[in-house]
Amino acid sequence: MFKSKRYLLAILPFLLLVIGYELVPILMIVIRSFQPQGHFGFTLEHYQAIFQKRLYQQAVINSIIIAVISSVIGIIIAFFGAKAANDSNSKWRNFFINILNMTSNFAGIPLAFAFIILLGNMGVLVLVGKAVGITSLENFNVYSYKGLLLTYIYFQIPLATLLLIPIFDGLRKEWKEAVLLLGGNSFIYWTKVAIPAILPSILATISVLFSNAIAAYSTAYALLANNYSLLPIRISEQFVGDLVQRKEFGSALAVVLMLTMIISTMINNYFIKRSRGGASL
Amino acid sequence: MKKSGLSKVVIVVICSYLTIPLLLTFIYSIFTEWKDILPSGLTFKYYKEILSDSYFINSVIRTLMISAIPFVTCTAVVLLALYVIEVYHPEWDKYMQMLCNIPYALQGIILAVSVLSLYVSAPYPFSNRFVMIVLTYCIVILPYIYRGLKNSLDSINANRLIEAAQMLGATKFYAFFAVVVPNIISGISIVAMLSISIVFGDFAIVNIVGGSYYQTAQMYLYKKLFVSGQASSVIIVVMFGLTLILSAVVNLLNKRWKKSREE
Repeated sequence: MFKSKRYLLAILPFLLLVIGYELVPILMIVIRSFQPQGHFGFTLEHYQAIFQKRLYQQAVINSIIIAVISSVIGIIIAFFGAKAANDSNSKWRNFFINILNMTSNFAGIPLAFAFIILLGNMGVLVLVGKAVGITSLENFNVYSYKGLLLTYIYFQIPLATLLLIPIFDGLRKEWKEAVLLLGGNSFIYWTKVAIPAILPSILATISVLFSNAIAAYSTAYALLANNYSLLPIRISEQFVGDLVQRKEFGSALAVVLMLTMIISTMINNYFIKRSRGGASL
Repeated sequence: MKKSGLSKVVIVVICSYLTIPLLLTFIYSIFTEWKDILPSGLTFKYYKEILSDSYFINSVIRTLMISAIPFVTCTAVVLLALYVIEVYHPEWDKYMQMLCNIPYALQGIILAVSVLSLYVSAPYPFSNRFVMIVLTYCIVILPYIYRGLKNSLDSINANRLIEAAQMLGATKFYAFFAVVVPNIISGISIVAMLSISIVFGDFAIVNIVGGSYYQTAQMYLYKKLFVSGQASSVIIVVMFGLTLILSAVVNLLNKRWKKSREE
């Protein structure tokens, strides 16, 4: 009997890996977020501190704002990008997809660096701004919220467009023909047929973009270090670095980050359900 | 025709926004000075400098190692588990799929601080930074490896192959690893390149979990960032080139594989 179940040993390494490095670490971080600093017990003080201290409040708010804005701008650009890819011949389309694939690898520190040489103190565009006299370019500060937003939008575009292109492929030509035959125009087709049809997929894509941005670490770390309060940076400095390490507090911050992602997914699912309900009549 | 003209404009505008920073980094790497609108002093000396810097070469080798080891480990672990699921318990697949999809939602930073805080003061092999990084990367690439291997197994109809091999006298274990696995080698190599390029571009996990214990090319770049702009841009160009080669190989393998499926 025992011998015949020996094959189950083969699944053991997988279980050990998943339990040891996925489930238990996450469980522990949730448990630790309710532990007082340095001894055993139960407390909500870390969560209170996050929502009372300005530094951490700001980190949560800044992170949410930059994630929402970069996702919305990213999805709008991706919408027109995917539509353009869909309307183009295969040569243009393939060229576009190749560029998107290539630049989707350009993120993190290299991306921050590229924007520094583009818009930093001695950046190319800043020099151009000086020469031509465009003050908004001349005085642009890349080491700021605005600079960071530009880099976030940059890495959202390839991801969002690559996710939307196959969704646009699902729009059937017959639908548009039917709208035109019935006396409608292109505007009516997009607002009444096409967008409602792909709205659930667009919302799902926004959800991916939001998680992608709110947990992004490397770009912000390289561009702003400690000059701008963001959740992922505040989390990591509780566990490593020069500051006094406060694992329990850091765990609470990490749980807050997870919660923002869970809540955004839930809000999204609600709207997805509603938009599906509307579309199916 | 007007419409396709407009589409072209949209594509060109988006592509410009995406490629200008990249292009600029490249131009920056081959000039000595950029203090005016146009750069001056074309040179390749920074490439020579960086490519002959043994610290850099070593950090690239270390990066490739830290990318390859998690791939091999994770693939072996997932294949063993898939053996049990494909051959004995197909009904468990939904649980495996769930476990393998969790890392999608975790994001690097949360996983990194979770693993670090759990194992940093644990007894020896667990507290070793190299072990921690490798196993954390295993979880990061787990969703991609599971998806890739599972799709490959489904597409070759693994169960029928196993039945056929068994009829010829092979054991189930032998049938899976000696008959089925060689048939999905091309699928495995696609997953390999994909997961290696994911780890290759990572900074968050290696910086948090590894600290200064393990210097990868990304860490080297971060240090150079505040020292020399030219050196940084050379490192970026070299590393980006390596990433492009990896993804070009993935595309090539993908195409070949699809072709061989169709035949």
